[in-house]
Amino acid sequence: MTPEHVDSAVDPVTADASPDLTADLAGDRAAGLTALTSAVSLRGRTAPSRVLFGPHETNLGRGRALSERHVAYYAARAQGGAGIIVTETASVHDSDWPYERAPLAAECGPGWRAVVDACGPALVLASLGHTGGQGSSAYSQQTLWAPSPVADAVSRELPQVMEAREIALLVAGFAAAASLAVASGCAGVEIEAGDRSVLRQFLSGITNQRSDAYGTDKALLLREVLVAVRAAVGDAIVSLRLSCDELAPWAGVTPDHAAVLADEVADLVDLLVVVRAGPYAGSAYRPDAHSPEGFNASLCRDIRTAVAGRVPVVLQGSVVSGTFAQTALDDSVCDLVEMTRAQIADPSLVAHLRAGTAPRPCVLCNQACRVRDARNPLVSCVGEPRSGYETTDPSASSVGAGGQRRVLVVGGGPAGLECARVLAACGRDVELREATDVLGGAVNDASLGAGRERLRDLTDWLADECRRLGVTVTLSRPVTAADLASYEGDVVLATGSRSRELPDGRLTGREALRGPVPEGAVLVHDPIGSWEGISVAEKLAAEGRDVRIVTGDPIVGTMLSLTGDLADCNTRLQRAGVTRELKSLLRSTSEGKALLEDVWTGAQRQVPCVVVVDCGHRLPLEDLYVPGLARAGDCVAPRTILEAVLEGRRRAHELCLELVGA
Amino acid sequence: MSRFTHLLSPLQLGPLVLKNRVVFSAHLTNYAEGGLPTEQHAAYYAARAEGGAGLIITEEHSTHVTDWPYEKLIHGFDRRVIEGYRRITDAVHAHDVPILAQLNHNGGQASSMYSRLPVWAPSPVPDPLFREVPKALELQEIRAVVDGYALVAEHCMEGGFDGVELQCSHSSIVRGFLSRATNHRTDLYGGVLGNRARLLLEIVAAVRSVLGPGKALGVRLCGDELIENGSTLDDAVAVARLCEETGQVDYINTSIGVATATLYMIEASMQVPPGYAMFIPSAIREAVSLPVVGVGRFKDPLQADRALQAGQADLIGVVRGQIADPDFVRKARSGAAQDIRTCLSCNQECVGRMGLNRWLGCIENPLAGREAVLLPTPRRRGQRVLVVGGGPAGLQAAVTAAERGHHVTLFEKHERLGGQVPVAASVPSRAEFLDITRNLVSAAQRAGVDVKTVCEATAELILSEAPDVVVLATGAVPARPWWAGDLVRVVDVRDVLEGRAQPQGRVVLFDDLGFHQATSVAELLADRGCAVEVMTPGMVVGQDLGITLDLETWNVKAAAKGIEQTTDVVAMGAVAEGDRIILTLQHHPTGTDLTRTVDWVVCAVQQRADDALWHQLRGAAFAVHRIGDCLAPRRAHAAVIEGHRVAVGL
Repeated sequence: MTPEHVDSAVDPVTADASPDLTADLAGDRAAGLTALTSAVSLRGRTAPSRVLFGPHETNLGRGRALSERHVAYYAARAQGGAGIIVTETASVHDSDWPYERAPLAAECGPGWRAVVDACGPALVLASLGHTGGQGSSAYSQQTLWAPSPVADAVSRELPQVMEAREIALLVAGFAAAASLAVASGCAGVEIEAGDRSVLRQFLSGITNQRSDAYGTDKALLLREVLVAVRAAVGDAIVSLRLSCDELAPWAGVTPDHAAVLADEVADLVDLLVVVRAGPYAGSAYRPDAHSPEGFNASLCRDIRTAVAGRVPVVLQGSVVSGTFAQTALDDSVCDLVEMTRAQIADPSLVAHLRAGTAPRPCVLCNQACRVRDARNPLVSCVGEPRSGYETTDPSASSVGAGGQRRVLVVGGGPAGLECARVLAACGRDVELREATDVLGGAVNDASLGAGRERLRDLTDWLADECRRLGVTVTLSRPVTAADLASYEGDVVLATGSRSRELPDGRLTGREALRGPVPEGAVLVHDPIGSWEGISVAEKLAAEGRDVRIVTGDPIVGTMLSLTGDLADCNTRLQRAGVTRELKSLLRSTSEGKALLEDVWTGAQRQVPCVVVVDCGHRLPLEDLYVPGLARAGDCVAPRTILEAVLEGRRRAHELCLELVGA
Repeated sequence: MSRFTHLLSPLQLGPLVLKNRVVFSAHLTNYAEGGLPTEQHAAYYAARAEGGAGLIITEEHSTHVTDWPYEKLIHGFDRRVIEGYRRITDAVHAHDVPILAQLNHNGGQASSMYSRLPVWAPSPVPDPLFREVPKALELQEIRAVVDGYALVAEHCMEGGFDGVELQCSHSSIVRGFLSRATNHRTDLYGGVLGNRARLLLEIVAAVRSVLGPGKALGVRLCGDELIENGSTLDDAVAVARLCEETGQVDYINTSIGVATATLYMIEASMQVPPGYAMFIPSAIREAVSLPVVGVGRFKDPLQADRALQAGQADLIGVVRGQIADPDFVRKARSGAAQDIRTCLSCNQECVGRMGLNRWLGCIENPLAGREAVLLPTPRRRGQRVLVVGGGPAGLQAAVTAAERGHHVTLFEKHERLGGQVPVAASVPSRAEFLDITRNLVSAAQRAGVDVKTVCEATAELILSEAPDVVVLATGAVPARPWWAGDLVRVVDVRDVLEGRAQPQGRVVLFDDLGFHQATSVAELLADRGCAVEVMTPGMVVGQDLGITLDLETWNVKAAAKGIEQTTDVVAMGAVAEGDRIILTLQHHPTGTDLTRTVDWVVCAVQQRADDALWHQLRGAAFAVHRIGDCLAPRRAHAAVIEGHRVAVGL
């Protein structure tokens, strides 16, 4: 039913989903990414590329089993060219239930089978783990297991000390889980000794304070597990995800220590994924864009040197571009590259790299893909909201391409751009009009914050795709109500938001980010607790300004808990000398002072304040709206990029589907 | 029976006759799966019906796809709920108790996280908790909201409910319209109260037309939103009058506060006096002739009976009281009110689990949330069970084992039972926590546990007793932090509470735990005249008080008592200087060192498991189990759960 040109227009590289390695070599050479996208052999099996899709929490499970949503999610990445798919870490023993939808190995057999069946020719490894003292007792209502009675820094829950019985159950659990995974068709398993892992807790002097053999030889348990797993899986692949830096040098695993450890276990494994993670490392394992791309490169190179070719090594950690990944391979940093978030952002990443076309970029925002949260949000992506929703949202190729009516999309932010892109891909004649002289909308301001520059990569990509697909883009041409009234065709409004009416002299957060900000002590009023207030405060502090940030919350940035930047942003602000005025309301300002009020006690105090920057919520820009008109993004209600892209796409699909159905 | 004559008297509620005035009113449970009610719902409500509740009102059923603020919301708009409704109503009706369904759309008090749709509200005013700007409803969307209520009312009728309640009180699109704080509209749905109430009245009319005359329709109103520009008591009274004037409403239920702004007053902990919200039903009852429900920390039948006698309400909502003891009414009726396992209002496992998207439980009732799970029959009845330790773990193990037909002896080395509970509850503001010990001791007596206090169970004694099973519940002991050395003026909170130390002057309370241990003792010491500073490595002092809704009230008290708060610091060392202590700390975000010269340092830090007997009894001829703090020092709920579990497994 799908016209051929639709697929080729939307996703030029997925029309033929199964990678034909020889045929694709031409594309690889064109892109200069030959090694990255070419096959690699592991223990006699062939991974179709050197790109790994790493294990991560998805909340896609049903109960503690993998679901059909998992299958579709992994299958999309396999079809897009991933070499190795590592499934969501499954607990090897029912003493471990770290989050509600955490898979339990004993319940994963059918799910692993279905993933394997759907993911050829990619190699599927089942990640196996036990989070030990970093787990949760909330779901199991049982004690946590750990090497020593050391409470986790986050949960502050004291674990039960593992005795011989628990250690034996754990080792047997790894072996049984590995056996089941391989019997279910997996090419092998990956043993989790990284971010949240009892095996890492045994390796670390912070969490392992034992005086028995497992304390004097901290790698003993890891070796026992690896030996047991090898015995269980025979000739299947055994990968190890190993924290090689706990970022706690006083007692934790250090890179030097890890080099010795890697050498020690090199002959027991077929693949070694180098990560950094520890009890106090917070978000360091998969941070947002405040950390640079490929931050583990030097650590990975050292470990690779230590294992001296005995085991291929995988670079993990915010690698999102093909060029960075290929350079890492070229520079002997690693033998394979994990590009998990890049493949959440674009399931066809590898196919794009092969073809020399531009994948939809991961902007390392962590806003929708980092779902370790009690609310159980489903994994997704701000730029590719179908990620995680493969079984419910229409695919690009399933949307019709009927109708000739032209479409006017009003507004060139992410909502308008995505809407125009999808409409053009569906074969519609699209004009996108933007009132200002640049595309990108609110993202242009959002990306002015430190660590948020990459957000523009997404709108730049959308704009490039619009142009490539033949969208007529007109800048600096505000649309009037009269224009709309006389327009013959379909219209979608994506006109964005406007500021609330602020008292005289107050700046909006966006104005402050664009600068300049008048002289004098600055008070950043942040009733929301998201990126804007923090970006403004950081920017002005970096300029040497006297900055205060006022929030009604007990900490700054509460809405950043999902991205992992919550603790980090509080640290950055304090280091930058920003005064946090917590649990406070801004009541008024006058004569160089602001009157603040404690949210709970009502006690009032004055702080210096010459300039107020308001980072409160915005309002929809509704000037052009008449009931019944299609709308997307902030002009419906000012929210985030995710909602803008999702609604832009939905409006496009509705127009296409409507015509197909009509 | 002359007691509780008001509480236990019948009441005509519209077309329904209630056997008594105790309502198990609506509250979230997180028992739903995939948007549908479960077997657990049916078992949960049935247990309270069996226990004698006069009326049961289920948790809310969402009326529209745009409403999905938390994961485990029941999607009443989905026809597939009807099967689950049937299961619930059949299970409750089996005990001859009427049951209503609560209908709701949470409006702007939500996010798009699950629905992936814009949030709907009267005006684009973001909710204080979710902070997502909602879409202001257009007129056809208001129609859709009204139609949604009618649709779900139809589902409820098919599902066998005796009526419905409209939640217009603490988290609702109707509240959003009623409140000036969130309704800024200038059309027929905004402005004067009559306009703001238009949505409510349209919903009442639509729902009543579905229900017909034979079913009950209630409206739950907020008596005071406790927010700026929010609705107050006068508004609630006026709206209640409007409801009565329709002739279509059978009763008024009440609440206080906004769930996403002032939740700590809706589900108040023991920090707030019982009956604190009764001014609301009192005022409404004076204005309308409809029966009015009052709620707010009703823990025992006497208190509820007196409120009715005083004319404060016609019915009393007892939610946590019936979570803790499903047989609340049955015991009151049968003259065994003293046997009621009274709620502590600790909020740890009921309210505290809701915000974390976990199923509803209870610190005292190990079966709460597990009503649908059948317990195994005892492997062998009449085993000789020896329990060592009379804290909550040991007591619960003894109670459950004895109730299941075992011969149980409990050894407690102290004179006093309860373990650390009486210690924690010795702070005046935590006194109600002591009820858990009272309830367990009373249950142990009724179950025939042989309790031996002032009797230390040594390994020799236990071996000589040669029981079938030993359950060790020996608790935990304070552990000195590494930096404390031997300084006599660095002590544990337990040293203070148990009278071994009497800090005076300047005191630092160093808090590694983030719960009541530090904050309650800080209060106590401040009351005794100390200058107290609570210092913690955490980002917030008393972080977990947020979960139990104690953070707001503690902060207010702390400010009044001059308690200072310092966050993000780790202790690095302590030395004596004369009678004083110099405490060195590091502010870990910045790496800055700081010191405090104080008279005392009181530590709220992790304890050490007292597991000596566990090691001594290794290889014994009988089974030895470890539960509670001697396995891993944690909170009371873990002790109770493990005590129950080990006994069920015998």
